[in-house]
Amino acid sequence: MNAEALLGCFAAPACIVTQVSAGMIIGMLIFLVASGVTLIFGVLKVVNFAHGSFYMLGAYLALTVYGASGSYTLAVLAAVVGVGLFGTIFERFFMSRVYNADVLMQLLVCYAFILILDDVVKIVWGGDFLKMGMPREFALPPIKVWDGYVPPFYAFLTVFAVAIAVLVGALLRFTQFGKIVRAAAVNRQMVSVLGINTSLVYALIFGLGSMLAGLAGALAAPVRAAVPGMGFEILIECFIVTIIGGMGSMAGAFIAAIGIGLIRSFGSIGFPLASEGVMFAIMAIMLLVRPAGLFGRKAS
Amino acid sequence: MTVRLSIVGLMKRFGGVVASDNVTLDFAPGSLTAVIGPNGAGKTTFFNLITGKLKPDAGQILLDGVDIAGRSQSEIVRRGIGRAFQVASIFPRFTVEEALTAAVLTHRQQTSSMLRRFPLPLALARAREIMALAGLERVASTPSRFLSHGDQKLLDIALALALEPKVLLLDEPTAGMGPEERWQMIERVQTLWREVGMTLVFIEHDMDIVFKIAQTIRVLRYGKVLAEGTPDEIRSNADVIEAYLGTSLEASA
Amino acid sequence: MTARMENIIGILLAVAVTAATLAFGGKALLDVLMRLAIFGLLALSLNILVGYTGLVSFGHAMFFGLGSYTFGLLMQSGAVSIPVAALLTLVAALVWGGVVGMFCIRLDDIYFSFLTLAFQMLLYSIIVGFVSLTGGDQGLMGGIPRPPFLGLDLTDPRQLFVVTMAVFVTCVLIIRQIVQSPFGFALRMIRDNAERARFLGLPVQRYKLIAFVLSGLFGSISGILMSLYVSGAYPNFAFWSTSGDVIFMIILGGITVFLGPLIGAAVFLLLNDNITRMTEHHGIVMGVVLLAVVLGLRKGFLDLLDDWWRARAGAVR
Ligand SMILES: Nc1ncnc2c1ncn2[C@@H]1O[C@H](COP(=O)(O)OP(=O)(O)OP(=O)(O)O)[C@@H](O)[C@H]1O
Ligand SMILES: [Mg+2]
Repeated sequence: MNAEALLGCFAAPACIVTQVSAGMIIGMLIFLVASGVTLIFGVLKVVNFAHGSFYMLGAYLALTVYGASGSYTLAVLAAVVGVGLFGTIFERFFMSRVYNADVLMQLLVCYAFILILDDVVKIVWGGDFLKMGMPREFALPPIKVWDGYVPPFYAFLTVFAVAIAVLVGALLRFTQFGKIVRAAAVNRQMVSVLGINTSLVYALIFGLGSMLAGLAGALAAPVRAAVPGMGFEILIECFIVTIIGGMGSMAGAFIAAIGIGLIRSFGSIGFPLASEGVMFAIMAIMLLVRPAGLFGRKAS
Repeated sequence: MTVRLSIVGLMKRFGGVVASDNVTLDFAPGSLTAVIGPNGAGKTTFFNLITGKLKPDAGQILLDGVDIAGRSQSEIVRRGIGRAFQVASIFPRFTVEEALTAAVLTHRQQTSSMLRRFPLPLALARAREIMALAGLERVASTPSRFLSHGDQKLLDIALALALEPKVLLLDEPTAGMGPEERWQMIERVQTLWREVGMTLVFIEHDMDIVFKIAQTIRVLRYGKVLAEGTPDEIRSNADVIEAYLGTSLEASA
Repeated sequence: MTARMENIIGILLAVAVTAATLAFGGKALLDVLMRLAIFGLLALSLNILVGYTGLVSFGHAMFFGLGSYTFGLLMQSGAVSIPVAALLTLVAALVWGGVVGMFCIRLDDIYFSFLTLAFQMLLYSIIVGFVSLTGGDQGLMGGIPRPPFLGLDLTDPRQLFVVTMAVFVTCVLIIRQIVQSPFGFALRMIRDNAERARFLGLPVQRYKLIAFVLSGLFGSISGILMSLYVSGAYPNFAFWSTSGDVIFMIILGGITVFLGPLIGAAVFLLLNDNITRMTEHHGIVMGVVLLAVVLGLRKGFLDLLDDWWRARAGAVR
């Protein structure tokens, strides 16, 4: 624990700006992955344990496409579409077979894919850290905020993630598709009686959730090194966020993700060894005081 | 009149729906009572409130004079109110004999033993007694999930019996059965009641059954007590006739 | 079969295998059996939760890691003998299991799995982060001293083998006793229908916690044996992939038959060793096998046998 460094940072606006912006991007990446998990769970009532691996896949796809084309826009698109497709296939051919089986089976199907994807990534991209570097589109001078500087990509990432979240929220709230999805979440049978193809709805939702993971991966590529196994790390953070925020609550996940991001970023100065511990402590306290989480309605 | 179970001014709201509206009812020791009413009248809710599955908004539930309203389910079970469910709630992978033995062990608080082997002989003997009472001996070693629908409901009731309840609540014991099976079931229930001598309350939609075996009948509608009395009194009660003719007759068939 | 007969058969079998291996087997067989005993015990201990209580823990490796590190550190401190260190390790596992368990059992289903996984990763990050104590990534270096006790010298592989087998068979028989006791059947009630069990007056939460702690205690014993076997402790003992492997073993062998996890561990180790020998792409092959088992068989091997058996005899296991 280095209280002096932490206090020193709080005394210096430049340091605060740097750490907050770093915390925000960590939080936003976790949030994008967590929102995919939450979306899928909300409708399909299954948890995609392999979601972190989808995120990893997104990062690697973005790396490759960026390397080949030099266009970050193209890289993001490729990651989103690629991982979205992959997720849909995964749902149709694998997950859908264990919807009625117990949790153990669902977990194992995902686990198998975690093993396979980690290995595939190793074969295709190698086992070492890969860096994309700052995309050309963002080779701009840093933005001055208060007394500090924020890299433009950080600002972009944060705003973009929020925009996507709002967009998905709007899609679910205001469109016909959203109505069907929300109805299917409550009562699948009723919806299929109405002549709607619920399997299609499920596949689309799974695809949409996967796209969010792919997007997160693509957004992470410029700021984080890609490495096999990176999916698992974010998966744990994403679970912690869902538990703190309240299961099935996007707003809860959003707030909790920012919180975790800030703890991670300030923790790296003040308590580098304990930042993980602090995350868990918050989760533990939450479970004791409000088992349903910040915005959860009912304990499971 | 002595009273075993006395309900006073019981209230429960679900949003706009008043599922239990100032319900006041008494049940005498050893009585056999039917609770009837159209779908959604609040019958299951009434049971849920008594057994602590739901907390009442207001009112008292007196078991032998002690107010148990709002207590935990396990405490209410311990105090002697047993229940079987509208949809049979059993242990799918246990055989009938194992399930009943385990239930007896639980009731006797002997499940904490790790040094002995299941089943303990005394508990097994008691389980066999209950099986005999419920007529489940023929399927003693059948895993519960392979039982017929009727036997599953019977097992659910037998599980409740293992708790030696003073009051037994049965939620539609004949639900989902064919006419013949229904009568077998209800005769079983009647025999049980006679032999064990507990206070038995059952919810039933089949009026032939209700009027044939119940000593007294309580009619609920819209969460309120519409009428109570002997079968003859209920048969000639203008409100009840009105209620059942007013709603669809299917509901009471 | 009565409890006494089971115990006698179990002990005789273990003695026979141990004696035969010592007499005829080489070092290779010794190693195989030792690893089987260690991972078999780990899998059996997890199955108390998964198979008997219906709680799918995805963090069981935390006890494996906790056991090996605590024991290893205690031995390296030089302050205590092997039995005392083992005992203290059990106390540590008891405390950790009790505290972590209190949180985990508050959640059901998949959330229980999350939380166990999360706590396991917490332990992992402590192990990796606390370099001065644990050696971080490198693991506990310098070997684990094994001073003789009660005339036993565990630096001798043959004596270590005998002790491992003895501990293994003792633990298996104890676990067997637990799951066949009234308590064990109470756990099965929770697995089958926790709501109904609660309604029969069973203190479900308390029983879940006890099951969690017991499972952790045996898991940590497996960890102790592991640290003796490899004379060290490594962070991946507490890593998620180890938890995944144990679940894999359980599902391979089957969760409804008592010895299923042991068979599963054997099949898993066999697969694992051969795949590792043949290809680097161990994850892909294991993943595909796992998919085949889950989506193809939908059960472990012994589960299938058991279904067939139960259709005839019909008794819960
Ligand atoms: N948990 C609940 N949440 C919200 N509303 C409920 C709940 N339980 C019951 N209700 C409502 O309360 C009313 C009474 O329901 P209840 O299940 O007690 O009826 P019932 O008499 O048992 O009907 P049936 O004959 O169909 O079994 C209904 O309008 C029902 O929708
Ligand atoms: Mg009802």
